[in-house]
Amino acid sequence: MKKQAGKVTVLVGTLKGAFVFRSAAQRSNWTIDGPLFKGWRVTAAERLPDGTFLAATASDVYGPALHRSRDLREWSQIEHGPTWPHGSSRKLNQIWRLAAGHGRVLAGVDEAGLFFSEDGGDSWVPVEGLNEHETRSAWFPGAGGLCAHAILFDPAHPHRIWCGISAVGVFRSDDGGATWHPKNRGVRVIIADQVQKEIGHCVHGLAQDPLDANTIYRQDHAGMYVTRNGGDTWESAENGLSSGFGFPIAIDRSSGRLYAVPLEADEFRIPPGGALRVFRSGDRGASWEPLTSGLPQSHAYMGVLRGALETDSLDPCGVYFGTTSGTVHFSADGGDSWRTMPCVLPRVLSVSVFAGST
Amino acid sequence: MASVTVHLPSLLVDATGCAPELPIEAVTLADALERLMELHPTLRVHLFDEKGRFREHVLCFHNEDNTRWRRDLSARLADGDTIRIMQAVSGG
Repeated sequence: MKKQAGKVTVLVGTLKGAFVFRSAAQRSNWTIDGPLFKGWRVTAAERLPDGTFLAATASDVYGPALHRSRDLREWSQIEHGPTWPHGSSRKLNQIWRLAAGHGRVLAGVDEAGLFFSEDGGDSWVPVEGLNEHETRSAWFPGAGGLCAHAILFDPAHPHRIWCGISAVGVFRSDDGGATWHPKNRGVRVIIADQVQKEIGHCVHGLAQDPLDANTIYRQDHAGMYVTRNGGDTWESAENGLSSGFGFPIAIDRSSGRLYAVPLEADEFRIPPGGALRVFRSGDRGASWEPLTSGLPQSHAYMGVLRGALETDSLDPCGVYFGTTSGTVHFSADGGDSWRTMPCVLPRVLSVSVFAGST
Repeated sequence: MASVTVHLPSLLVDATGCAPELPIEAVTLADALERLMELHPTLRVHLFDEKGRFREHVLCFHNEDNTRWRRDLSARLADGDTIRIMQAVSGG
């Protein structure tokens, strides 16, 4: 059934502010507003079930903050965002991910940790079972820092949560966050710890099958993987990809089709051959096909960061991504063809899509 | 009690909704900063780190003096003094 009613709003977070793209559901004509949070990194955004929006900002000088809005236009800073305890030797550098589910909002942060809020973001509680995990002393930052950047819920089982931490790996909790277990078996390790053998895996992005929460696709530093059992075991899923390396992965929540943007590993982090190609899988990761129509196929040397690829919930699916060169590309037909937004923004850090929004 | 003016940088004005210049009544520099936090609590996370110190690249000037070179923030204020928050940015 075609879902074409309403509007689509895309919030693109960059190194120097956020920009809001709005369109009718046909997604043929867009308006661009911004910058919001001028001069600030905008690292994550989320819409809560009550319609409130949260956005995370950060500055190398002035630290991180969390902001709230009802309409994506007027924002107010939340006084008590996620923070490490007073006196802590850890620094909260930025919020990488905001995820609402089961009556909570979770925030994944750098230095790596998870916090939750049960009051819409007014107050935050550290998830001690993960933040103080027995393997913590062996967590080591990678090129992207030491960040908790991926959060998944199981719609049918409120107590099951996954969290991906860069340069550490994927953890799963089956008791609402009280205890966590590394879930990386089958994934090639990047830097093996001498004691903590289950970490040292550099997960870059996660996407969850809309019909089966235990089927999760994983764009890892070491390649593309899939688990069919909630992370207990992983297997390679990169048949047809131009490179196993990349950062983001996204899924069409209607069809289950997957989207990824491979990059040349790993010293280079640019599109292979200078051709910007999104890859799509229509068979749950068994094979991938390149999507090129409307994307620059020569002299394209940008990257796409882990938070900068997202889909909408319309049919056909809209797919959106921003690049480290500040260009923003989208498809309104599931990836068959692409257009480029008429703008050149600062380095794009995050893309959040709110279908039916203001 | 002295009447002083706190000057904030544009980035913090935009983020917190504060005015760029704020009148404060306080006895010492420390009192003034605490009063500033009471009036605008969203500033706290931007000025101070997890240990309660000024963030590494946040500068606080009392009149012409960088407070980083003082032993503490106990300096007494006088009417008309200025307290200026700045970012320490180097390079080009």
